[in-house]
Amino acid sequence: MGNKAFDKRHIAKALSVLFTSRMPPTPAPQAESGPAVDVEVLVKHYGKVEALRGVSLTVGRGEMFALLGPNGAGKTTLFSILATLRAPTSGSARVLGRDVVADRDAIRREMGIVFQEPAIEQRLSGTDNLMLMGLLYGLPLGLARKRATEILAQLGLGEAAGRMARTLSGGQRRKLELARALVTDPRILFLDEATLGLDVDARRTFWGQVRGLAQAGRTVFFTTHYMEEAEVADRIALIDSGRIVALGTPRELKARVGGGIVSMKTEDDARARAWLGEKGLVPEPGGASIVLVHADPAAILPEILRNLPVRVDRVEVHAPSLEDVFLKLTGRGLEGGNRS
Amino acid sequence: MMRGIFAIVVLDLKRFWLDRARLVTGLVQPLLYLFVLGAGIGASSRMGGGDYRRFIYPGTMGLSLLFSATFAAITIVFDRQIGFFKAVLVAPVPRPAIAFGKILAGALQSLAQGVVLLPFAPLAGASLDFTQTVEMLGAMVLASLTFSSIGVAFACRFNSTTVFPIVSNAVLLPMFFLSGGLYPLRFAPAWMQMAAHFDPVAYAVDLMRGSVMGTFFFPVPLSLGALALTIVLLTWAAVRVFNRGEDDSSLGATRFNFRR
Repeated sequence: MGNKAFDKRHIAKALSVLFTSRMPPTPAPQAESGPAVDVEVLVKHYGKVEALRGVSLTVGRGEMFALLGPNGAGKTTLFSILATLRAPTSGSARVLGRDVVADRDAIRREMGIVFQEPAIEQRLSGTDNLMLMGLLYGLPLGLARKRATEILAQLGLGEAAGRMARTLSGGQRRKLELARALVTDPRILFLDEATLGLDVDARRTFWGQVRGLAQAGRTVFFTTHYMEEAEVADRIALIDSGRIVALGTPRELKARVGGGIVSMKTEDDARARAWLGEKGLVPEPGGASIVLVHADPAAILPEILRNLPVRVDRVEVHAPSLEDVFLKLTGRGLEGGNRS
Repeated sequence: MMRGIFAIVVLDLKRFWLDRARLVTGLVQPLLYLFVLGAGIGASSRMGGGDYRRFIYPGTMGLSLLFSATFAAITIVFDRQIGFFKAVLVAPVPRPAIAFGKILAGALQSLAQGVVLLPFAPLAGASLDFTQTVEMLGAMVLASLTFSSIGVAFACRFNSTTVFPIVSNAVLLPMFFLSGGLYPLRFAPAWMQMAAHFDPVAYAVDLMRGSVMGTFFFPVPLSLGALALTIVLLTWAAVRVFNRGEDDSSLGATRFNFRR
């Protein structure tokens, strides 16, 4: 019995190694021994629900790492375990070389975290919020106040210093969350869907600042379900149904799809699919339109358009996006709209 | 640890300061008891109106401290709903520091409410000289700490602001009515005197009354001991709840005592 479980673990680990990119992690600017995050065959059950089914991955120091997946894929669970908010059912997770369960407090002292939902006191000023956080992390009062002022200035939030947090704009409030996470000068930063509900502009400035933090040598681990956000990361793990389905740099992942992508909409998609199948061009399963991955779309497209027995309403050719990668690997879109 | 406690206290007092108007509205209830209920009941009691007001002044002080301390404790429930507490809970603060901080902050808020009520003592016929004032303040400090630990021990077990007031009414009002705040325990039926021995509010009110009237129902050392014991036990109970494994991310548990 015990042996069987042992074997299973090893198989799972071997499999996860297969699926994990072999590319060596980017060398960290201020290299200390060992990866920033090291996860091995992590499993988490909520009652009968298996939220994580054997996840393994490593994140190098100073790396910016994205966890991308649809809602309910296990993103937040994995995130919560790494951020010491939940304990795993089995497997091991180490952050900055420390075990997330046994050395929880040591990790907490060195990490900063931004939650999906607001975690600043809306009725206090920016400085007060940050100063109190500093005190909670054991900074003396004077230093906590000094750090608060510095971080606000650094993030361009000077005007938030004396204003009640709730009078700020949505983007500024999110930045204030980031400032709160940074006030203790953490070595690793966890961001959970940190830009939820922000407009494109505010998201861009937010990620620009996070990118800067990563360049300054901090490790950044974030979850998102916006593809364009994941692209700012050095590496991305695609997660689905509690498993890592792909892991690599944005370019690597897109190269997996290869060539280009033809997507089209016809007056009778079912017939068009059947016809394409006969020609040996098998479309990707599922999706609202027909998606065809091909090494050289320009070569096959004229032929298709000339001979397809149904009328084509719309056709597009584009370079693969992360959405396409996800679709290819899981047969579903990232937004999770057509999940059963 | 000390900085953690300090941070929690500063946070709560800063928020309290934003709500300082509450100090004025918080006066309404004790003054109603004192000057309306007190006048009505006093006129028909053996003591007479003036004496009765003087007699229940410590009782209304107890009422005021009890309700303001418990109300301060509700912030625990609010914090959990708005997510701010999550940031506190992932900070490397020892859990006991959060419990201590909350209790201390609640006691300070309720003490502030009590100090606002203090100038009404002469109006109620209970003029206090310097020694009496010092005794009164000492009793108020002890009472505030007791009531705050009661509030926090309760509040940390609830996650809904709608349930909390119902429970607190079901517990606080009986505790106040049994305390002898509005009548002399000496003349109460035996079962009520018995019950009062298990009511921390009774000891607190008796200490305060003693500092005004000069006579006590319970022996002073017993009152001091009972209040100290209540503070220690309830603080310990609150620490235990805060200490229980926490599994409090956005996914599920809204209580932070979800088992690992």
